[in-house]
Amino acid sequence: MFSLFAESFRIALTSIFSNKSRSILTALGIIIGVLSVTLMGTLISGLDKGFDKSMAFLGKDVFSISRYEWFGDLEWWEVRNRPRMRLEYVDAIKEKSTYAEAVAPVMQRGANLSKGNMSTVGTQIFGTNTDYMSTITANIAKGRFFTEGEDRSGSRVAVIGNDIAENLFVNQDPLGEYLKIDGIKFRVIGVMEKQGKFLGLFSVDNQAIIPVGTSTRLFSKRGFLRLSVKVPPEDIDNAKSEIFGIMRQLRGLKPSEKDDFAINQTEAFERQYKQIKFAIGGTGIFITILSLVVGGIGIMNIMFVSVQERTKEIGIRKAIGATKNMILAQFLMEAITICVIGGLIGLMMAGGLSFIINKFFPSTMPLWLAMTSILLSIIVGVISGVIPSYRAARLDPIDALRYE
Amino acid sequence: MADLISLKNIKRHYNVGGEVVRALDGVDLVIKENEYISIMGPSGSGKSTLMNMIGCLDTPTDGNYEFGGELVHEMDDDQLASIRNRKIGFVFQTFNLLPKATALRNVEVPLIYSNIPKDERLKTANNALVSVGLGDRVDHKPNELSGGQRQRVAIARALVNNPSIILADEPTGNLDSKSGIEIMRILDQLHSKGNTIILVTHEEDIAKHANRIITIFDGRVKEDIMNSDKV
Repeated sequence: MFSLFAESFRIALTSIFSNKSRSILTALGIIIGVLSVTLMGTLISGLDKGFDKSMAFLGKDVFSISRYEWFGDLEWWEVRNRPRMRLEYVDAIKEKSTYAEAVAPVMQRGANLSKGNMSTVGTQIFGTNTDYMSTITANIAKGRFFTEGEDRSGSRVAVIGNDIAENLFVNQDPLGEYLKIDGIKFRVIGVMEKQGKFLGLFSVDNQAIIPVGTSTRLFSKRGFLRLSVKVPPEDIDNAKSEIFGIMRQLRGLKPSEKDDFAINQTEAFERQYKQIKFAIGGTGIFITILSLVVGGIGIMNIMFVSVQERTKEIGIRKAIGATKNMILAQFLMEAITICVIGGLIGLMMAGGLSFIINKFFPSTMPLWLAMTSILLSIIVGVISGVIPSYRAARLDPIDALRYE
Repeated sequence: MADLISLKNIKRHYNVGGEVVRALDGVDLVIKENEYISIMGPSGSGKSTLMNMIGCLDTPTDGNYEFGGELVHEMDDDQLASIRNRKIGFVFQTFNLLPKATALRNVEVPLIYSNIPKDERLKTANNALVSVGLGDRVDHKPNELSGGQRQRVAIARALVNNPSIILADEPTGNLDSKSGIEIMRILDQLHSKGNTIILVTHEEDIAKHANRIITIFDGRVKEDIMNSDKV
């Protein structure tokens, strides 16, 4: 059996390589099909990885309470007319909630950070309290977070992100050094560990954290405020309804009135993300199926030609003892070999492309995807090869021998 | 010698455009082991059909065909393929070698279909080529060989599975006279070594190499004589 298999494979390779340009053109459909299936899969699995990593920044068990929903469908003016978040809510929630483990206000604004003649671009500063570290998953790499005392007294101290440490303090330990936030001098007391980009959009490392007390004293109080509330992971639903109650009470809403705030969770991101993913995946599957069908038809055509051209050879082989199945196997193997070669070329191109794409966007090609695309090539080979091969196998040896 | 082939009232009718063509119309024939037979006849006489029939490429419309005790007329395609592979060696007028394969590969193919392991296969194929005097041409492709050499490759291929009969259809028809003589010498040698040979030809000179000459006319055996020159 094995020698027959090896023989079929050998015949297939001989036939494919003696018609190189025809074989390449034939395999083109499969190349494109496999290219699109692997690229799409690579993209989605890259997105997944990036997404999971980004979601980990937020934490599943952390609520973000603010004026607007992350993916709401409200009109902008409706959101604008809602009352602002207030710093007083922090203490109120801490006092009333039985679930909240940490409540941190996050007053966010863009600022210009500088040291000497160096400065940063697009830096965000967060004014928060000592609970903040419990509401995020990243840790401090060097130094320490600020204390409650420093918060109360409005100390000019800052915990800076990794990018800032690298950009403003080249070859220098930033701890204890000074930098300027919008022209005001702050002392660096800690550096956050490197985290990377959020959904590939902006760097989480390009930010500085200062006490909220300092922030309200030095900068405008009208920065964007949200509250981060950490709850026990096993009680997320209960905690959410409790905090809804507390917030409605703080907002003084009557039972008939609608919420004028939103409690956001990573879940909202996940829902949105799934929609995007399905859209990309759906389009990808459609393109893939289309190109594989077109590729398969191309292969079927060429196989018919190949059978026709080699009618005499089939006659000779039958005369010297090839059975129907041996002839069938020979041509089927040829179709499969073209498809697998096409698949491998497509895979290599996809590998190269995803390597390039990865420089701009997270993308990785998992092993299962490579396996799937090769399996898919084999299936296309079998489906498109079976009819021509069957025709070859059924040829009458005498007629085939006479064919010129 | 034992009966090798026995044809009883073999008929082969084709239906061509509503008209029945009787290519073979009741052939009776017994061939014994180590016979050397020529089948002669004008074109259209049915000698090619008879050769295809004996070679198990075709099956009779009616009649009995026994080959070494096996009933060929009852066999399906795969059984026919197997008997062609094991018991019959073909030599064709137009050589019918695989053009892209070397001489060795061509001779190897019947052994692949009978599932012989690779090492043994290469050895056997090589020996067959040596026996027809092509030991130094094993890696040549058909287009690198002369007509006579090609036919010798075909003979090596026919021999390689140790068949019961060698069926040669106009083996010298495409060759110059010198190569033709060479090929006939090889066939004569094979016969003297104990092989059964059936030669289809319309040339009397070639037919005279055989011990028994059968003439076919209109789908029947017209004459079946022993060759007086040889006996």
